[in-house]
Amino acid sequence: MLFLAALAFIFDPANLLGDKGILPRLMDHLLYTGLSLGAALLIGIPIGLLIGHTGKGKNFVIALTGSFRAIPTFGLLLFIILFTGLGLWPLVVVLAVLAIPPIIAGAYSGLDSVNRETIDAARAIGMTERQILGKVEIPLALPLILGGIRSATLQIIATATIAGYVGLTGLGRFLIEGLALHDYTLAFAGAILVAALALVADGVLAIVQKLVVPHGVSRGMARTTTRSNRRSAPSALTRAPITEG
Amino acid sequence: MQSHRVKRIAAGLVAIGLTASLAACASGDPLGGDGGGELGTITVGSQGFAESDILAQLYGQMLAANGYTVTYSPSIGSRETFIPALQDGSIDMIPDYAGNLLYGADPEATATSTADVMEALPAVLEPLGLKVSSAAQAEDADALVVTKEFAEENNLVTIADLAPIASTITIGANTEFEGRSYGRAGLESVYGVTGWTFKAIDDYGGPGTLSDLLNNNIQVADIYTTTPSIKEHDLVVLEDPKHLIAAQNIVPLFNEKAYSVAVANIVDRVSNKLTTAELMSLNEISAGDSKPSPETVARDWLKKVGLL
Repeated sequence: MLFLAALAFIFDPANLLGDKGILPRLMDHLLYTGLSLGAALLIGIPIGLLIGHTGKGKNFVIALTGSFRAIPTFGLLLFIILFTGLGLWPLVVVLAVLAIPPIIAGAYSGLDSVNRETIDAARAIGMTERQILGKVEIPLALPLILGGIRSATLQIIATATIAGYVGLTGLGRFLIEGLALHDYTLAFAGAILVAALALVADGVLAIVQKLVVPHGVSRGMARTTTRSNRRSAPSALTRAPITEG
Repeated sequence: MQSHRVKRIAAGLVAIGLTASLAACASGDPLGGDGGGELGTITVGSQGFAESDILAQLYGQMLAANGYTVTYSPSIGSRETFIPALQDGSIDMIPDYAGNLLYGADPEATATSTADVMEALPAVLEPLGLKVSSAAQAEDADALVVTKEFAEENNLVTIADLAPIASTITIGANTEFEGRSYGRAGLESVYGVTGWTFKAIDDYGGPGTLSDLLNNNIQVADIYTTTPSIKEHDLVVLEDPKHLIAAQNIVPLFNEKAYSVAVANIVDRVSNKLTTAELMSLNEISAGDSKPSPETVARDWLKKVGLL
Protein backbone atom coordinates (compact mmCIF):
# COMPACT_ATOMS: atom_id res chain seq x y z
CA MET A 1 0.00 0.00 0.00
CA LEU A 2 2.69 2.44 1.04
CA PHE A 3 4.66 1.51 -2.04
CA LEU A 4 1.69 2.09 -4.34
CA ALA A 5 0.85 5.38 -2.65
CA ALA A 6 4.46 6.48 -3.06
CA LEU A 7 4.43 5.55 -6.74
CA ALA A 8 1.16 7.42 -7.16
CA PHE A 9 2.80 10.48 -5.63
CA ILE A 10 5.78 10.22 -7.97
CA PHE A 11 3.68 9.85 -11.12
CA ASP A 12 1.15 12.53 -10.19
CA PRO A 13 1.87 15.37 -12.65
CA ALA A 14 0.86 17.87 -9.96
CA ASN A 15 3.99 16.92 -8.02
CA LEU A 16 6.39 17.41 -10.90
CA LEU A 17 6.87 21.17 -10.96
CA GLY A 18 6.53 24.04 -8.51
CA ASP A 19 8.42 24.96 -5.35
CA LYS A 20 8.35 21.49 -3.91
CA GLY A 21 8.18 19.63 -7.20
CA ILE A 22 10.17 16.57 -8.10
CA LEU A 23 11.83 18.13 -11.14
CA PRO A 24 13.40 21.21 -9.47
CA ARG A 25 14.58 19.07 -6.58
CA LEU A 26 15.99 16.49 -8.99
CA MET A 27 17.87 19.25 -10.82
CA ASP A 28 19.28 20.53 -7.53
CA HIS A 29 20.28 17.01 -6.56
CA LEU A 30 22.08 16.63 -9.88
CA LEU A 31 23.74 20.02 -9.41
CA TYR A 32 25.11 19.04 -5.99
CA THR A 33 26.22 15.68 -7.39
CA GLY A 34 27.89 17.23 -10.43
CA LEU A 35 29.78 19.90 -8.50
CA SER A 36 30.97 17.47 -5.84
CA LEU A 37 31.97 14.81 -8.33
CA GLY A 38 33.81 17.43 -10.41
CA ALA A 39 35.74 18.63 -7.38
CA ALA A 40 36.53 15.07 -6.32
CA LEU A 41 37.75 14.16 -9.83
CA LEU A 42 39.98 17.25 -10.03
CA ILE A 43 41.69 16.18 -6.83
CA GLY A 44 41.39 12.42 -6.88
CA ILE A 45 42.34 11.52 -10.47
CA PRO A 46 45.73 13.34 -10.58
CA ILE A 47 46.70 11.93 -7.19
CA GLY A 48 45.62 8.41 -8.15
CA LEU A 49 47.46 8.56 -11.48
CA LEU A 50 50.56 10.00 -9.90
CA ILE A 51 50.94 7.35 -7.24
CA GLY A 52 49.84 4.64 -9.68
CA HIS A 53 52.44 5.67 -12.26
CA THR A 54 55.35 6.34 -9.94
CA GLY A 55 54.45 3.84 -7.25
CA LYS A 56 55.65 6.45 -4.74
CA GLY A 57 53.73 7.31 -1.61
CA LYS A 58 51.07 4.75 -2.32
CA ASN A 59 50.94 3.36 1.18
CA PHE A 60 50.66 6.79 2.70
CA VAL A 61 48.00 8.06 0.30
CA ILE A 62 45.92 4.90 0.40
CA ALA A 63 46.00 4.88 4.19
CA LEU A 64 45.19 8.58 4.38
CA THR A 65 42.30 8.53 1.95
CA GLY A 66 41.09 5.26 3.42
CA SER A 67 40.79 7.00 6.76
CA PHE A 68 38.66 9.68 5.03
CA ARG A 69 36.04 7.01 4.64
CA ALA A 70 35.58 6.95 8.39
CA ILE A 71 34.63 10.64 8.56
CA PRO A 72 30.90 10.98 9.26
CA THR A 73 29.72 13.16 6.40
CA PHE A 74 26.83 14.83 8.20
CA GLY A 75 28.97 15.61 11.23
CA LEU A 76 31.63 17.18 9.04
CA LEU A 77 28.97 19.23 7.25
CA LEU A 78 27.59 20.66 10.50
CA PHE A 79 31.10 21.34 11.72
CA ILE A 80 31.98 23.34 8.59
CA ILE A 81 28.70 25.23 8.76
CA LEU A 82 29.57 26.41 12.25
CA PHE A 83 32.33 28.46 10.65
CA THR A 84 30.93 29.31 7.23
CA GLY A 85 27.19 29.57 7.74
CA LEU A 86 24.76 27.85 5.44
CA GLY A 87 25.53 27.56 1.76
CA LEU A 88 26.34 25.36 -1.18
CA TRP A 89 30.11 25.09 -0.72
CA PRO A 90 30.15 23.30 2.62
CA LEU A 91 28.00 20.59 1.06
CA VAL A 92 30.23 20.31 -2.01
CA VAL A 93 33.31 20.02 0.18
CA VAL A 94 31.96 17.21 2.35
CA LEU A 95 30.59 15.26 -0.60
CA ALA A 96 33.93 15.60 -2.38
CA VAL A 97 35.70 14.32 0.73
CA LEU A 98 33.38 11.34 0.56
CA ALA A 99 34.06 10.71 -3.13
CA ILE A 100 37.82 11.20 -3.28
CA PRO A 101 38.87 7.87 -1.67
CA PRO A 102 37.14 5.56 -4.17
CA ILE A 103 38.35 7.71 -7.07
CA ILE A 104 41.96 7.58 -5.91
CA ALA A 105 41.69 3.87 -5.18
CA GLY A 106 40.26 3.22 -8.65
CA ALA A 107 42.90 5.25 -10.46
CA TYR A 108 45.74 3.85 -8.43
CA SER A 109 44.69 0.23 -8.64
CA GLY A 110 43.90 0.62 -12.34
CA LEU A 111 47.43 1.71 -13.07
CA ASP A 112 48.80 -0.87 -10.69
CA SER A 113 47.01 -3.60 -12.61
CA VAL A 114 48.75 -2.77 -15.90
CA ASN A 115 51.22 -5.46 -16.87
CA ARG A 116 54.77 -4.27 -16.07
CA GLU A 117 56.13 -5.91 -19.22
CA THR A 118 53.77 -3.84 -21.36
CA ILE A 119 55.08 -0.67 -19.75
CA ASP A 120 58.68 -1.79 -20.21
CA ALA A 121 57.93 -2.53 -23.85
CA ALA A 122 56.45 0.94 -24.31
CA ARG A 123 59.50 2.48 -22.70
CA ALA A 124 61.79 0.31 -24.89
CA ILE A 125 60.28 1.60 -28.11
CA GLY A 126 61.06 5.14 -27.00
CA MET A 127 57.84 6.45 -25.48
CA THR A 128 58.21 9.31 -22.99
CA GLU A 129 56.79 8.89 -19.48
CA ARG A 130 53.91 11.13 -20.44
CA GLN A 131 53.18 8.99 -23.51
CA ILE A 132 53.36 5.82 -21.47
CA LEU A 133 50.84 7.25 -19.02
CA GLY A 134 48.53 8.68 -21.68
CA LYS A 135 48.71 6.01 -24.36
CA VAL A 136 49.38 2.82 -22.47
CA GLU A 137 48.61 2.97 -18.78
CA ILE A 138 45.42 5.05 -18.71
CA PRO A 139 43.69 3.18 -21.58
CA LEU A 140 44.55 -0.14 -20.00
CA ALA A 141 43.48 1.08 -16.56
CA LEU A 142 40.21 2.67 -17.71
CA PRO A 143 37.88 -0.10 -16.52
CA LEU A 144 39.10 0.28 -12.95
CA ILE A 145 39.35 4.08 -13.07
CA LEU A 146 35.75 4.28 -14.22
CA GLY A 147 34.78 1.71 -11.64
CA GLY A 148 36.09 4.03 -8.93
CA ILE A 149 34.17 6.96 -10.40
CA ARG A 150 30.98 4.91 -10.54
CA SER A 151 31.34 3.96 -6.92
CA ALA A 152 32.00 7.61 -5.96
CA THR A 153 28.99 8.81 -7.93
CA LEU A 154 26.65 6.40 -6.19
CA GLN A 155 27.90 7.47 -2.79
CA ILE A 156 27.43 11.14 -3.62
CA ILE A 157 23.91 10.63 -4.94
CA ALA A 158 22.88 8.72 -1.85
CA THR A 159 24.52 11.09 0.61
CA ALA A 160 23.45 14.36 -1.07
CA THR A 161 20.10 13.79 0.64
CA ILE A 162 21.59 15.56 3.68
CA ALA A 163 21.52 18.84 1.73
CA GLY A 164 17.87 19.15 2.73
CA TYR A 165 18.83 19.55 6.37
CA VAL A 166 20.94 22.64 5.89
CA GLY A 167 18.79 25.04 3.94
CA LEU A 168 19.39 23.50 0.52
CA THR A 169 16.99 21.25 -1.37
CA GLY A 170 17.51 18.13 -3.48
CA LEU A 171 15.60 14.87 -3.33
CA GLY A 172 16.42 14.55 0.38
CA ARG A 173 13.73 17.15 1.11
CA PHE A 174 11.04 14.55 0.43
CA LEU A 175 12.57 12.28 3.05
CA ILE A 176 12.98 15.07 5.60
CA GLU A 177 9.53 16.54 5.05
CA GLY A 178 7.99 13.09 5.17
CA LEU A 179 9.63 12.33 8.51
CA ALA A 180 8.94 15.77 10.02
CA LEU A 181 5.26 15.72 9.06
CA HIS A 182 4.78 12.00 9.71
CA ASP A 183 3.85 11.63 6.04
CA TYR A 184 5.55 8.33 5.35
CA THR A 185 4.24 8.11 1.81
CA LEU A 186 6.20 11.25 1.04
CA ALA A 187 9.32 9.90 2.75
CA PHE A 188 9.03 6.62 0.88
CA ALA A 189 8.55 8.42 -2.43
CA GLY A 190 11.77 10.33 -1.67
CA ALA A 191 13.61 7.09 -0.97
CA ILE A 192 12.37 5.59 -4.24
CA LEU A 193 13.45 8.69 -6.18
CA VAL A 194 16.95 8.65 -4.71
CA ALA A 195 17.34 4.93 -5.36
CA ALA A 196 16.04 5.32 -8.92
CA LEU A 197 18.43 8.19 -9.60
CA ALA A 198 21.33 6.10 -8.31
CA LEU A 199 20.37 3.17 -10.52
CA VAL A 200 19.97 5.35 -13.61
CA ALA A 201 23.29 7.09 -12.96
CA ASP A 202 25.01 3.76 -12.52
CA GLY A 203 23.46 2.47 -15.74
CA VAL A 204 24.59 5.52 -17.67
CA LEU A 205 28.12 5.21 -16.30
CA ALA A 206 28.15 1.49 -17.18
CA ILE A 207 27.35 2.40 -20.78
CA VAL A 208 30.01 5.13 -20.77
CA GLN A 209 32.45 2.58 -19.41
CA LYS A 210 31.64 0.23 -22.30
CA LEU A 211 31.99 2.98 -24.89
CA VAL A 212 35.26 4.53 -23.80
CA VAL A 213 37.24 1.45 -22.90
CA PRO A 214 39.34 0.51 -25.96
CA HIS A 215 38.25 -2.69 -27.71
CA GLY A 216 41.64 -4.24 -27.24
CA VAL A 217 41.33 -3.81 -23.48
CA SER A 218 37.87 -5.24 -23.13
CA ARG A 219 38.71 -8.16 -25.40
CA GLY A 220 42.01 -8.68 -23.64
CA MET A 221 40.24 -8.78 -20.29
CA ALA A 222 38.08 -11.60 -21.51
CA ARG A 223 40.93 -13.66 -22.97
CA THR A 224 44.10 -13.17 -21.04
CA THR A 225 44.04 -15.20 -17.88
CA THR A 226 46.95 -13.40 -16.27
CA ARG A 227 45.22 -10.02 -16.66
CA SER A 228 41.93 -11.11 -15.26
CA ASN A 229 43.66 -12.81 -12.35
CA ARG A 230 45.56 -9.68 -11.57
CA ARG A 231 42.47 -7.62 -11.96
CA SER A 232 40.30 -9.38 -9.47
CA ALA A 233 42.03 -8.13 -6.32
CA PRO A 234 42.12 -4.38 -7.03
CA SER A 235 38.66 -4.59 -8.48
CA ALA A 236 37.33 -5.71 -5.15
CA LEU A 237 39.18 -2.82 -3.59
CA THR A 238 37.32 -0.24 -5.63
CA ARG A 239 33.89 -1.75 -5.63
CA ALA A 240 33.45 -2.92 -2.10
CA PRO A 241 33.36 0.28 -0.11
CA ILE A 242 29.87 1.61 -0.41
CA THR A 243 29.67 2.41 3.24
CA GLU A 244 27.09 5.11 3.51
CA GLY A 245 23.56 5.02 2.45
CA MET B 1 8.62 20.32 20.76
CA GLN B 2 10.12 17.36 22.47
CA SER B 3 12.20 16.45 19.49
CA HIS B 4 13.77 19.86 19.26
CA ARG B 5 15.77 18.99 22.27
CA VAL B 6 17.47 15.98 20.80
CA LYS B 7 20.72 17.86 20.53
CA ARG B 8 20.57 18.63 24.20
CA ILE B 9 20.49 14.95 25.03
CA ALA B 10 24.26 15.06 25.00
CA ALA B 11 24.01 17.30 28.03
CA GLY B 12 21.56 14.86 29.52
CA LEU B 13 24.05 12.05 29.11
CA VAL B 14 26.57 14.07 31.06
CA ALA B 15 23.91 14.50 33.70
CA ILE B 16 23.55 10.74 34.00
CA GLY B 17 27.13 10.70 35.11
CA LEU B 18 26.16 13.07 37.88
CA THR B 19 23.40 10.86 39.17
CA ALA B 20 25.58 9.10 41.69
CA SER B 21 26.96 12.31 43.13
CA LEU B 22 23.51 13.90 43.23
CA ALA B 23 22.09 10.99 45.12
CA ALA B 24 24.94 11.33 47.58
CA CYS B 25 24.16 15.03 47.92
CA ALA B 26 20.58 14.32 48.75
CA SER B 27 21.35 11.93 51.53
CA GLY B 28 24.29 13.91 52.86
CA ASP B 29 22.34 17.14 52.41
CA PRO B 30 25.29 19.47 51.91
CA LEU B 31 22.97 22.15 50.61
CA GLY B 32 22.41 23.75 53.95
CA GLY B 33 18.87 22.48 54.32
CA ASP B 34 17.49 22.31 57.82
CA GLY B 35 17.44 18.58 58.31
CA GLY B 36 15.86 16.68 55.45
CA GLY B 37 13.57 13.77 55.84
CA GLU B 38 11.04 14.99 58.36
CA LEU B 39 8.47 15.81 55.74
CA GLY B 40 8.86 12.85 53.42
CA THR B 41 10.74 12.04 50.25
CA ILE B 42 10.24 13.59 46.84
CA THR B 43 11.89 12.22 43.69
CA VAL B 44 12.45 14.93 41.10
CA GLY B 45 12.79 13.88 37.46
CA SER B 46 14.08 15.79 34.47
CA GLN B 47 13.58 15.43 30.75
CA GLY B 48 17.13 14.83 29.68
CA PHE B 49 18.35 18.17 28.38
CA ALA B 50 20.24 20.95 30.10
CA GLU B 51 17.36 23.32 30.77
CA SER B 52 15.22 20.59 32.30
CA ASP B 53 18.12 19.41 34.47
CA ILE B 54 18.60 22.94 35.79
CA LEU B 55 14.89 23.35 36.51
CA ALA B 56 14.78 20.02 38.32
CA GLN B 57 17.66 21.19 40.52
CA LEU B 58 16.04 24.56 41.18
CA TYR B 59 12.83 23.01 42.46
CA GLY B 60 14.56 20.06 44.11
CA GLN B 61 17.07 22.15 46.08
CA MET B 62 14.29 24.45 47.21
CA LEU B 63 12.32 21.48 48.54
CA ALA B 64 15.44 20.04 50.19
CA ALA B 65 16.08 23.36 51.91
CA ASN B 66 12.58 23.24 53.33
CA GLY B 67 12.68 19.90 55.03
CA TYR B 68 12.04 17.34 52.32
CA THR B 69 14.35 14.53 51.39
CA VAL B 70 14.94 14.98 47.68
CA THR B 71 16.33 12.44 45.28
CA TYR B 72 16.94 13.15 41.62
CA SER B 73 16.18 11.03 38.63
CA PRO B 74 17.59 13.00 35.71
CA SER B 75 17.12 12.25 32.03
CA ILE B 76 13.83 10.41 32.21
CA GLY B 77 13.16 11.39 28.63
CA SER B 78 10.12 12.59 26.78
CA ARG B 79 6.52 12.98 27.88
CA GLU B 80 5.68 9.44 26.74
CA THR B 81 8.14 8.18 29.35
CA PHE B 82 7.79 10.54 32.28
CA ILE B 83 3.98 10.57 32.54
CA PRO B 84 3.91 6.81 33.33
CA ALA B 85 6.90 7.32 35.64
CA LEU B 86 4.91 9.93 37.59
CA GLN B 87 1.86 7.69 37.69
CA ASP B 88 3.71 4.66 39.03
CA GLY B 89 5.55 6.80 41.57
CA SER B 90 9.08 6.22 40.29
CA ILE B 91 9.25 10.01 40.19
CA ASP B 92 7.02 12.47 42.05
CA MET B 93 7.65 15.72 40.25
CA ILE B 94 9.10 16.96 36.98
CA PRO B 95 9.37 20.43 35.44
CA ASP B 96 7.34 20.61 32.24
CA TYR B 97 6.13 23.12 29.66
CA ALA B 98 2.49 24.21 29.99
CA GLY B 99 1.39 24.23 26.36
CA ASN B 100 3.03 20.97 25.40
CA LEU B 101 1.72 19.34 28.56
CA LEU B 102 -1.83 20.41 27.69
CA TYR B 103 -1.63 19.35 24.04
CA GLY B 104 0.05 16.10 25.02
CA ALA B 105 -2.77 15.26 27.43
CA ASP B 106 -5.54 16.65 25.21
CA PRO B 107 -4.73 16.84 21.50
CA GLU B 108 -8.04 18.64 20.91
CA ALA B 109 -7.17 21.55 23.20
CA THR B 110 -7.34 25.05 21.75
CA ALA B 111 -6.02 27.24 24.57
CA THR B 112 -2.92 29.25 23.68
CA SER B 113 -2.49 32.08 26.22
CA THR B 114 -0.79 31.33 29.53
CA ALA B 115 -3.97 32.00 31.49
CA ASP B 116 -6.13 29.80 29.27
CA VAL B 117 -3.62 26.97 29.23
CA MET B 118 -3.23 27.01 33.02
CA GLU B 119 -6.98 27.11 33.45
CA ALA B 120 -7.48 24.13 31.15
CA LEU B 121 -4.71 22.00 32.67
CA PRO B 122 -6.17 20.79 36.03
CA ALA B 123 -9.29 19.26 34.47
CA VAL B 124 -7.25 17.47 31.81
CA LEU B 125 -4.67 16.20 34.31
CA GLU B 126 -7.08 14.98 36.97
CA PRO B 127 -8.07 11.72 35.21
CA LEU B 128 -4.36 11.00 34.85
CA GLY B 129 -3.78 11.42 38.59
CA LEU B 130 -1.54 14.44 38.03
CA LYS B 131 -1.42 17.97 39.43
CA VAL B 132 0.39 21.18 38.57
CA SER B 133 1.42 24.07 40.78
CA SER B 134 1.53 27.65 39.50
CA ALA B 135 3.34 28.38 36.27
CA ALA B 136 6.52 30.38 36.19
CA GLN B 137 6.62 33.52 34.12
CA ALA B 138 9.56 31.93 32.30
CA GLU B 139 8.64 30.46 28.97
CA ASP B 140 10.53 28.35 26.45
CA ALA B 141 8.37 28.55 23.35
CA ASP B 142 8.81 28.96 19.63
CA ALA B 143 9.25 32.62 18.82
CA LEU B 144 9.55 34.62 15.63
CA VAL B 145 12.79 36.51 15.90
CA VAL B 146 14.33 39.28 13.77
CA THR B 147 17.56 41.26 13.93
CA LYS B 148 17.44 44.61 15.67
CA GLU B 149 18.31 46.46 12.44
CA PHE B 150 15.52 44.75 10.54
CA ALA B 151 13.04 45.52 13.33
CA GLU B 152 14.00 49.19 13.33
CA GLU B 153 13.95 49.56 9.55
CA ASN B 154 10.46 48.12 9.33
CA ASN B 155 9.04 49.27 12.68
CA LEU B 156 8.44 45.73 13.85
CA VAL B 157 7.08 45.15 17.34
CA THR B 158 4.47 42.44 16.98
CA ILE B 159 4.02 39.62 14.49
CA ALA B 160 1.19 41.61 12.89
CA ASP B 161 3.73 44.24 11.80
CA LEU B 162 5.13 41.70 9.35
CA ALA B 163 1.92 41.80 7.30
CA PRO B 164 2.79 44.80 5.06
CA ILE B 165 6.20 43.37 4.15
CA ALA B 166 5.23 39.70 4.19
CA SER B 167 5.70 39.11 0.47
CA THR B 168 9.34 40.23 0.70
CA ILE B 169 10.46 38.12 3.63
CA THR B 170 11.82 34.64 4.08
CA ILE B 171 11.11 32.80 7.31
CA GLY B 172 13.62 30.17 8.37
CA ALA B 173 12.55 27.30 10.62
CA ASN B 174 12.41 23.55 10.91
CA THR B 175 10.54 21.69 8.19
CA GLU B 176 7.48 21.08 10.37
CA PHE B 177 7.00 24.80 11.09
CA GLU B 178 5.20 25.47 7.82
CA GLY B 179 2.46 22.95 8.58
CA ARG B 180 2.01 23.75 12.28
CA SER B 181 -0.98 25.67 13.63
CA TYR B 182 1.29 28.70 14.05
CA GLY B 183 2.82 28.22 10.59
CA ARG B 184 1.44 29.34 7.26
CA ALA B 185 -2.25 28.92 8.17
CA GLY B 186 -2.08 30.58 11.60
CA LEU B 187 0.08 33.49 10.49
CA GLU B 188 -2.45 34.28 7.79
CA SER B 189 -5.67 33.82 9.77
CA VAL B 190 -4.49 35.44 13.02
CA TYR B 191 -2.17 38.18 11.79
CA GLY B 192 -2.82 38.46 8.04
CA VAL B 193 0.82 37.63 7.33
CA THR B 194 0.78 35.85 4.00
CA GLY B 195 2.84 35.39 0.87
CA TRP B 196 6.19 34.83 2.62
CA THR B 197 8.84 32.43 1.45
CA PHE B 198 9.80 29.48 3.63
CA LYS B 199 13.33 28.22 4.05
CA ALA B 200 13.65 24.94 5.88
CA ILE B 201 16.69 24.85 8.14
CA ASP B 202 16.47 21.78 10.35
CA ASP B 203 18.68 22.75 13.24
CA TYR B 204 16.02 23.86 15.75
CA GLY B 205 17.05 27.50 15.69
CA GLY B 206 20.72 26.56 16.05
CA PRO B 207 23.88 27.99 14.46
CA GLY B 208 22.76 27.52 10.84
CA THR B 209 19.51 29.41 11.38
CA LEU B 210 21.33 32.10 13.33
CA SER B 211 23.99 32.69 10.68
CA ASP B 212 21.34 32.91 7.96
CA LEU B 213 19.42 35.46 10.03
CA LEU B 214 22.51 37.57 10.72
CA ASN B 215 23.50 37.41 7.03
CA ASN B 216 19.99 38.47 5.99
CA ASN B 217 19.46 35.29 3.96
CA ILE B 218 16.34 34.95 6.05
CA GLN B 219 14.66 37.91 7.74
CA VAL B 220 12.65 36.03 10.36
CA ALA B 221 13.71 32.93 12.29
CA ASP B 222 11.93 30.53 14.60
CA ILE B 223 14.18 30.42 17.67
CA TYR B 224 13.19 29.24 21.15
CA THR B 225 12.73 32.03 23.64
CA THR B 226 15.37 30.85 26.11
CA THR B 227 18.12 30.40 23.50
CA PRO B 228 21.11 32.48 24.62
CA SER B 229 21.85 33.61 21.04
CA ILE B 230 18.84 35.95 21.27
CA LYS B 231 20.58 38.00 23.94
CA GLU B 232 24.04 37.52 22.52
CA HIS B 233 23.12 38.99 19.12
CA ASP B 234 20.59 41.50 20.38
CA LEU B 235 17.77 39.83 18.44
CA VAL B 236 14.20 41.04 18.73
CA VAL B 237 11.44 38.58 19.67
CA LEU B 238 8.26 39.71 17.91
CA GLU B 239 5.37 40.01 20.34
CA ASP B 240 2.42 37.72 19.98
CA PRO B 241 -0.53 39.67 21.46
CA LYS B 242 -3.14 37.36 19.93
CA HIS B 243 -1.47 34.22 21.28
CA LEU B 244 -0.84 32.51 17.97
CA ILE B 245 1.90 30.40 19.54
CA ALA B 246 0.83 28.36 22.56
CA ALA B 247 2.30 29.50 25.87
CA GLN B 248 5.07 27.23 27.15
CA ASN B 249 5.55 28.49 30.68
CA ILE B 250 7.55 26.33 33.01
CA VAL B 251 5.20 24.39 35.26
CA PRO B 252 6.06 21.86 37.97
CA LEU B 253 4.08 18.66 37.39
CA PHE B 254 3.33 16.31 40.30
CA ASN B 255 1.60 13.05 40.96
CA GLU B 256 -1.32 13.29 43.40
CA LYS B 257 0.55 11.46 46.14
CA ALA B 258 3.38 13.98 46.29
CA TYR B 259 1.31 17.11 45.74
CA SER B 260 0.20 19.16 48.70
CA VAL B 261 -0.46 22.83 49.29
CA ALA B 262 2.68 23.00 51.40
CA VAL B 263 4.82 21.56 48.59
CA ALA B 264 3.16 23.82 46.03
CA ASN B 265 3.87 26.87 48.18
CA ILE B 266 7.55 25.99 48.31
CA VAL B 267 8.01 25.44 44.56
CA ASP B 268 5.91 28.54 43.84
CA ARG B 269 8.61 30.63 45.49
CA VAL B 270 11.00 29.46 42.75
CA SER B 271 8.43 29.84 39.97
CA ASN B 272 7.63 33.39 41.09
CA LYS B 273 11.23 34.51 40.57
CA LEU B 274 11.83 32.69 37.32
CA THR B 275 11.50 34.87 34.22
CA THR B 276 12.36 34.01 30.63
CA ALA B 277 15.43 36.26 30.83
CA GLU B 278 16.59 34.53 34.01
CA LEU B 279 16.11 31.10 32.47
CA MET B 280 17.99 32.17 29.34
CA SER B 281 20.91 33.33 31.46
CA LEU B 282 20.85 30.01 33.36
CA ASN B 283 21.09 28.22 30.00
CA GLU B 284 23.91 30.52 29.01
CA ILE B 285 25.85 29.81 32.20
CA SER B 286 25.24 26.09 31.76
CA ALA B 287 26.58 26.17 28.18
CA GLY B 288 29.54 28.34 29.18
CA ASP B 289 33.18 27.40 28.97
CA SER B 290 33.46 25.99 32.48
CA LYS B 291 30.48 23.65 31.89
CA PRO B 292 29.17 23.89 35.45
CA SER B 293 26.85 21.12 36.60
CA PRO B 294 23.08 21.81 36.71
CA GLU B 295 23.38 21.44 40.47
CA THR B 296 25.92 24.27 40.72
CA VAL B 297 24.03 26.49 38.28
CA ALA B 298 20.83 26.03 40.25
CA ARG B 299 22.40 26.56 43.68
CA ASP B 300 24.16 29.76 42.58
CA TRP B 301 20.93 31.17 41.21
CA LEU B 302 18.87 30.27 44.28
CA LYS B 303 21.46 32.05 46.43
CA LYS B 304 21.54 35.03 44.10
CA VAL B 305 17.80 35.58 44.30
CA GLY B 306 17.80 35.01 48.05
CA LEU B 307 15.91 31.72 48.22
CA LEU B 308 18.76 29.77 49.84
